Amino acid sequence: MSMLPTDPAELTALAGEYVLGTLDARQSRMVEAALPGNPDLAAMVAAWEDRLAPLSLLAPPEAPPPGLWDQIEAHISPAQAARPARPRFLRLWQGWAVGASLAAAALAGVAFLPGAAAPRMMTVLVTSGTQTAWTAEVDRRGGIQLAALGAPTGGPLDTAPPDGRVLQLWALPPGAKAPTSLGLVPRGAGAVHITTPAVKPVAGMLIEISLEPPGGAPGALPTGPVLFIGRLTEAGPPT
Amino acid sequence: MQAEADLGDLLGQVAQGDRAALRAIYVRQSTRLFGIAMAIMRDRTAAADVLQDSFLKIWQRAGQFDPSRGEGQVWISSIVRHAALDAARARGREIPTDDPGLGDTMLEPEALDRLQASEESTRLHECLQKLPQANREGIVMAFVHGLSHPEIAARLDQPLGTVKSWIRRGLLSLRECLS
Repeated sequence: MSMLPTDPAELTALAGEYVLGTLDARQSRMVEAALPGNPDLAAMVAAWEDRLAPLSLLAPPEAPPPGLWDQIEAHISPAQAARPARPRFLRLWQGWAVGASLAAAALAGVAFLPGAAAPRMMTVLVTSGTQTAWTAEVDRRGGIQLAALGAPTGGPLDTAPPDGRVLQLWALPPGAKAPTSLGLVPRGAGAVHITTPAVKPVAGMLIEISLEPPGGAPGALPTGPVLFIGRLTEAGPPT
Repeated sequence: MQAEADLGDLLGQVAQGDRAALRAIYVRQSTRLFGIAMAIMRDRTAAADVLQDSFLKIWQRAGQFDPSRGEGQVWISSIVRHAALDAARARGREIPTDDPGLGDTMLEPEALDRLQASEESTRLHECLQKLPQANREGIVMAFVHGLSHPEIAARLDQPLGTVKSWIRRGLLSLRECLS
């Protein structure tokens, strides 16, 4: 049941109060919900926004906290900043100086610890020096979980890009000629969860992280060096 | 109005998924927008949450911005104000109405003189000056500080029903005056 007034004068006043901000939460939601399907109301609201806009000059400008943009950017890239990396999981990995294939085999076992969500596929991304740097797991819903690993020495492995550059995640399915961007890796993020990757993860797919200018590669292809790379393999027995 | 044209263009680019364009908007507008959020939230952490939420909305909704129907700056500001109002409502608008820093400086006549910065805002200023003082104060407190009817009633020391009708009448007078 719509509670909106039918009288145009009343509707105009309601739109004005909505823009002014004096409606309570229930009334405000009611107006908001009606906007998409009510062009008259939407036009009234837009007119009030225009009329009252100069009042925002009365709010003293103030600089936002530094780092806020980085948080915003972490949310808008297809790779969304997720929970911090699971410490127990990472501890298991510290001290391992192994090649990617051995790491992958071991991780399949780790993943079947009670309570752990079983990945269907996974890989360990390594540097050109075959140092393990990130794990990438594919979950049951086809999402990809990327997690930074500690350094084999137990200290932090520097996976952060140099200042002014960003890390971008790519997928290259078997047979594809060019990789597809999965989004930017937020600076400082220990873990990234991509709920709906731009390409469906399949076994044999290469996962790469390249170094790119701010905002990511300007075109559809990586422009910077590939810093980390791994190939998805089946993680273990089906569950 | 070169800056306005640019903002509309940038929103068009954001609608195409251009993160650099969103960043350009942030660089230009975040100080102004954070001020708008702060005036309502009065808490830097809460205002930062509002600004982040607002930029995610701008990112998602830039395609809905229609340059033929309004200015980019107004569109962006209204997203931030409504995000702040929603957040203030969610926390029960618990802003103490006797906060000495709240509103007072805004309501001095010289503060309103800032509205004479441009032709458009000068017209609003003139129309506001025609309102009875309490109506004018109520409208400014609501818009700038996100005060609810009961909060404005408390600050003006007037019955709630009186304040509601003052503000409504004030709005309609403004509309008449600006048309």
